[in-house]
Amino acid sequence: MTAEALLARGVQKTYSSRRAPTVEALAGVSLVVHPGERVALLGRNGAGKTTFLKIASTLLRPTGGTVEVFGHDVAARPDDVRPMIAVVPQEGKPFFHLTPREQVYTYLRARGYDAKEAKSRTEDALRQMGLTEVADRLSITLSGGQRQRTMVATVIATEAPLLFLDEPTIGMDPFARRAVWDSLRTLTRRGSTILLTTHYLDEAEALSQRLYIIERGRVLVDGTAASLKQEVGGSLRVSIAGGERLAEAAATFGSVLNDGETLHVITTPERLPELMGLAVREHLTATVGPVTLEEAFLRVVGRSIDTEE
Amino acid sequence: MAVATRTPFRGLVAFSLTELRVQLHESTSIVTSLIVQVVLLLFVAILARDLLPVALFGGILFSMFALGQRVQNEAAFVRIDHKLNELYLAGPLTPEAYFLGMSLGVLGAYLAPIGVLVAVTVVVAGMSATTALVLLGACAGVWMFASSFGYFVSTLFRDMRTIWPYASIFYNLFGVLPPVFYPLGFWPAPLLPVALAMPPSAAAALVQSTIGWATLSPWEVAFATTALMVEGFGMFLFTIYWARRTVREDS
Repeated sequence: MTAEALLARGVQKTYSSRRAPTVEALAGVSLVVHPGERVALLGRNGAGKTTFLKIASTLLRPTGGTVEVFGHDVAARPDDVRPMIAVVPQEGKPFFHLTPREQVYTYLRARGYDAKEAKSRTEDALRQMGLTEVADRLSITLSGGQRQRTMVATVIATEAPLLFLDEPTIGMDPFARRAVWDSLRTLTRRGSTILLTTHYLDEAEALSQRLYIIERGRVLVDGTAASLKQEVGGSLRVSIAGGERLAEAAATFGSVLNDGETLHVITTPERLPELMGLAVREHLTATVGPVTLEEAFLRVVGRSIDTEE
Repeated sequence: MAVATRTPFRGLVAFSLTELRVQLHESTSIVTSLIVQVVLLLFVAILARDLLPVALFGGILFSMFALGQRVQNEAAFVRIDHKLNELYLAGPLTPEAYFLGMSLGVLGAYLAPIGVLVAVTVVVAGMSATTALVLLGACAGVWMFASSFGYFVSTLFRDMRTIWPYASIFYNLFGVLPPVFYPLGFWPAPLLPVALAMPPSAAAALVQSTIGWATLSPWEVAFATTALMVEGFGMFLFTIYWARRTVREDS
């Protein structure tokens, strides 16, 4: 497998229905995922992340453009692609009437693993996901986070060459999320490739080696978290609550973003005292923090990742 | 990294066993699966005891037919609520193995209560080797049609709630109303071809003919047999095609 793990060129998807207005979910998405990489698709709800993932994982047909997985066209030759992939669907749940141990084991058996290998992989995946203690409880009795961990365990146990994870840590507590991140890092070290969608900025930053920001069906920018943050234009973010009236003055300190309630100014450590002085003179509260991916996202998209379409 | 290979019906046995495990964990559903049959048999036993043998054989055939509804609900629930079809179908498991595995798993889980019904029938009505063979063939035809149809119907809906009323209409219209639980002779004669064309009542007519409760001409036997086989195999083959086609949700 020398080809790119995933290569998308100008992927379009339009949903047409007699009962509803036509929706352009993807408007020419092009991206590449190299073998062994962890890449995140970052975007707001409705940006087109899941649609892209479904096309790439052979579950939707593109209206235009092509997607290749290890050199195989997903639309023309889905049967060649499917053995090489594994998918954690968005909001997917394990069989309610199987235990996590049964879910992982039977899935591996259905993928063709022999009993011994499936058993060994099952125990390993359950341990990685911290599910050992609940491994023999029916999934219907588990919490939402435990069910989600079961889904992730099911898929990571396959060690398929290309894994698609659609919002894999949704509903998980911080410890479980870190366990998932660790497992995914281990998987790529062993040679798997991972494409995940997320709207958790910290997850994209901590986990992905590269990321694509998608908005309204288009890739707006791609790069590493570090490179995207660098482009913001400073290393510090000063947030001034109710500071809208200072927008003009603040613009001389760096780039300014106004989310309606708070004025965010991206600046440098050298200009910080002066900017804080400006806020204090106006009797406004200002907080200072490092620039994060959130500022990069705001700069690129113009809206917070949590705002709905 | 592990790459699986993909051949037709790959994973069928494993996925059948998965579905069997799922169903066996729902023991209440299995235990209560004979309620409709038992209620109807009770009515018959009270109102027309001599018709009990017919109703018992009908109960077995109805049980096979009702498996289609279970496949329908399971396939719809797994797809709409769990989205597990995405997990399984975006992988080496073939769509035909997914559909057939689910159907076989459901069949396996519900064989025990159907077996009880068969045992009661043997005790109450007796069963010759010929009758047993005809019953087996009739059950196979009905199961093949009903499970395939159930899976097909499950793919047509996006919401569980909208499926339930259609399922109820379908299974009562084709399983309870026609002469499955009662002798074919009670069915209006002008509508005989309709009864012989519908899988559950065609199967019941063949069994009733074998046990001497219906008089069918050779042509009518041939018609019912052909209808059952064509509809059973036809629906099965169509659903194999349909299962493959509907892997992509926009197909």
